[in-house]
Order: sequence, then C-alpha cells, then structure tokens
Amino acid sequence: MVQLSGLTKRFGRNTALDDVTLTIGPGEVFGYLGPNGAGKTTTIRLLMGMLRPTSGTAAVLGLDAWRQARDVHRLVGYVPGEPALYDRLTGHQHVAYCAHLRNRDDAPRAAELADRLDLDLNRQARTLSRGNRQKLAVVLAVMSSPRLLVLDEPTSGIDPLVQQVFHSILREHTAGGGSALFSSHVLGEVERVADRIGVVRAGKLVAVERLQDLAARSLHRVRARFTTTVSAAGFAGVPGVRDLTVDGRSLSCNAPQSALDALLKLVSARDVEDFECSEAPLEETFLTYYGSDQGGADTLDTAGTGPRHAG
Amino acid sequence: MLANVLVKTLRDQSRTLLAWAVSLALIVAMYAAVWPAVQSQPSISGFIDQMPEAFRSLFATSSADMSTPTGYIQVELMSFMGPIAVLIYAVSAGAGAIGGEEDRHTMDLLLSNPVGRGRVVVDKFAAMALGTFLLAAVMGVSLVLEGRLVDMVLPADKVAAAMLHLALLGVVFGSLALALSAGTGRTGLSRGIPAVLAVLAYIVNALAPLVDAFDRIHQVSPFFQYIGHDPLRQGTAWDSVLVSAATIAVLVALAVAGFRRRDVAG
Repeated sequence: MVQLSGLTKRFGRNTALDDVTLTIGPGEVFGYLGPNGAGKTTTIRLLMGMLRPTSGTAAVLGLDAWRQARDVHRLVGYVPGEPALYDRLTGHQHVAYCAHLRNRDDAPRAAELADRLDLDLNRQARTLSRGNRQKLAVVLAVMSSPRLLVLDEPTSGIDPLVQQVFHSILREHTAGGGSALFSSHVLGEVERVADRIGVVRAGKLVAVERLQDLAARSLHRVRARFTTTVSAAGFAGVPGVRDLTVDGRSLSCNAPQSALDALLKLVSARDVEDFECSEAPLEETFLTYYGSDQGGADTLDTAGTGPRHAG
Repeated sequence: MLANVLVKTLRDQSRTLLAWAVSLALIVAMYAAVWPAVQSQPSISGFIDQMPEAFRSLFATSSADMSTPTGYIQVELMSFMGPIAVLIYAVSAGAGAIGGEEDRHTMDLLLSNPVGRGRVVVDKFAAMALGTFLLAAVMGVSLVLEGRLVDMVLPADKVAAAMLHLALLGVVFGSLALALSAGTGRTGLSRGIPAVLAVLAYIVNALAPLVDAFDRIHQVSPFFQYIGHDPLRQGTAWDSVLVSAATIAVLVALAVAGFRRRDVAG
C-alpha cells in the first residue's frame, strides 16, 4: 500500500530525513514513533506530496506521492499534525467543502462519525476546543472511506474515552482492507492498534518491529531479598540482564524472558526471603531498547506532555 | 456554496469586498458632491496650469480641463485615488492567495484533497480578478449614477472603458503578487514588491514627458496601458488590453509553475 524507498529530505544543510525505506501492507496499521523533531512529520508530508523529496520516492499503491499527488489524494485521508481549520467555517461547511473537492457526497458518513465522536458539526471551527478540532480533522480524513489513512499524532488532545471510539473506527477501516500510518511520540498511543512500529530518530529509521516481537522481548522486573548479604558479581554473568543493582541483601534488575531461567537458578542458590517478578509495561521495554540510549535530548517523551513541534 | 476553491475564496473575501465597495461608492459620492463648487470656479483650471510642470504631470495625467466632468474625474479620481484603491485590494488578494493559506496552516487541509496545485492557483487568481473587476464596476456605476444627481454627466461607455483599463491595471499587479506568493509563500514580500513596482511604474509613466530616460521606457509601464491613451475620452484601447492580458497570462503561468515545484509550508 505504502512504499518509501531511500526517502531523503534536506532543508538547506539540515537533513530532516535520511534514506528511509519502509513498506506498509494492506490492512496494516503502522505505528510511527519518535521524539519530537525526529522526522515523523517530514515523512508524512513527503508522503502527502506537500514536500518534494531531495532523493528517493514515496508511493501509494504505485502512484508517486509527488508527481501524482492528486491521484494519491483520492486514495488517502490525512490528519495533519497541527490540524488547522478554516476559522469561520462550521463543521458542516468543512465537510461540504472537502466533499465537493472530492466529488463525493460524504455528509451522511461525516454526520455518523461526528455523532460517534460526540462532535457538534454546527459550530464554527474557531469556537472548538483543541480536542474537538482534532475530532473534526479525523472526521474529514475518514469520511471519504479512503484506502489509506495518514495520521500525524491524531489522538493528541483527545480524551481516552474518545480515543477508544477512534481506535474502533480505525479497526473498521483496517477490517475493510484499509491501511494506516499512525505517528506518535508515545508508544502507549499506538500499541493497542498498531501491527508494526517503526522508530525514527534524528531523521533515520532505526528500527522496525512487529509489536508481537517487541512484546516477546518484553522485560521482567525482578526483585529479590536474601537472608544474607550478596554481591553484584554473583549475578552479573547472566546475558540480557539490565539495570542490575545489588544493595546489601536486596537485588533488583530488568531481564528479558530468555534470561529468567538462569537468573532464577542463581537466585534460588541463595536463601531467599522475598521474591517478585512482574512484566514491565511495553512502554518501558520500548524505552530500554530505543529510547534513552542516546542521551537526554533524544529521549522519547513518555509523559506525552512535552511541547509539540513539527517532527 | 463551497463548491470549489474559487467560490470558497470569494466567500472568504465577501466582507472585505463589501467594505471596499461601500468605501469606493462613498469616495465617488464625495467627488460628486464637490463637483458643483468646482464647476462654478473656472479659476481652478488656471490653478492647475500654474502648477509646476512635474507636479502637473504627476497628478493631472494629460492636459485635463477641470471645468468639464471628464477632466475633473480624470484629475481627481483616475490619476490617483482610483488606482490606489484598486491596487491595494488586488495586491492584498494576490499576496494572500497562496501564502495566506500557508500562514494560517490550512494549505495542508486544502491540498490533501484531490485538487491539483495548478487548479488552486488558477482559482485563487480568478477570485482576485473577479473581485478587482467588481470593485472597478462599482466605481464606474457610482460615477455614472451619482454624477447624474449633481449634473456631472459622464458618458457611460467611456466610463466603462476606463474602468476596464483600471481593473486590468489592478489585475496585472495582483497577478504579480500572486506569482510571488505562489513561488515563495511569503506574504509580506509578495505584497511589498508589487507595491514598490507600482509606485515606480506610476512615476515612470507620469514623468515620461519630462525625463528622457523615462520617456524611452514608459510604454512598458502598466500605467501607460491603463491611462496613456486617456480612456475616459478615447474609450477602450484594445492593444493596451491585449498587452495587459498577455502580462497577466504570463504571471499566472509563472505562479502555477512556481507553486508546483516547491515545498508547501505546513
């Protein structure tokens, strides 16, 4: 459905996106993750034909995103990162304008979507809250029943209840064979809907992974307390164990599934007073692998409250 | 309603256009109101004749006789106030056409629909041109109708010809603003450059009789196409219309080409 090959975009001397190659299949939701300013929005705007690639190509169903932008747009619904609307137009007027430009009658579908999202289409865009503007942008993107949805942080500013509605709309879309590219700077936003995730950092696609595989590698937080003092050296040899700290009689560490057996045997060789092993949230696993290993400035914004810039 | 980019753009401009139309009708009414006083003061023509030649060239275009309605309107409205009003509207509309939507970040929304960039530019141009012609028409109708009330009788066909040339003058500079806006996305620059060029074109045309250098180039000035042949007396000059139309066509083509090849600001 989507094919990015060697996609590169430079603004002057600044390389915003560097040689990104990526395929998204039919019916697939691709979660596109990265910190703010990493290149998410640049990728999406290249795919939407708003930017001209410096080199490489972006294609939707074989149509070039830059040279055949108009044909691509017939197949695609798009929620921009900063959903700007026409302040003086109401929701209904936005729907009418976009539907006219697409030569379709999308008003009934738009009304149904707005109803599900609890959005009043009679109000002027300038009177809408940030969340409601986001909802209107989603309605405009989804109403034409596109083959591909390109969503630049679509759920930012939307409350969790409405997010669930949005997720079910997205699942209906993929059940019908539609695909989606869904960007976010928080894994939690995409983990429930994405089939695969890609991580972009400083303009480079650093990882693409099935969500299932990531879950299989998910870390377990292990804590143990012993009756006697232990030394860190006794546990350091287990492969895969991270964040090991030993303090007198207690031990804590993070370990992938594969390391649990060896770790457990080492622990049980001593006199255990207390033992705890729990699966860490996916977010934490994700951060361990892709998040904070490149220094503070590059870390993902886990709280989701950071300032938003075009990525 | 909202059937395409053209209708949408005109709808966006409706308040601006209404305000401009009312202002123009009032300006014409003001000139009409003063006319009886001017007519009864034949010395005013003498006053103009006594002006320094450069001054007279700038404000009175060709040899205008202030004691006739045609001469009066030519001096008072056609040589200064009329062009300024039409140019301000056309250049603002042209400069805001593409860059304005980018400034408000709505261009992503518009272009995510299956509308070609060329179509967007052409529709924006058409809205600017229609608005300019509408304002010129309001000015012309006001001149004829309000003039009748005060016995300032102007031939409707000549007024129509003058307004056609005035509108074309506006659309030429509006198209230049549009081309800059489409090519760069920078609204301020797209407004400023045509404004400066309009002033230069005005001066070159007005001072051509006095400055040899200007006299050699004044025929390229859009102001020469507009008023060089004295449309309020001579009617339409089709060769000037043709030159203006060709200039506009080239500028719109440049606008389309410029917008098609650049990144859209998001």
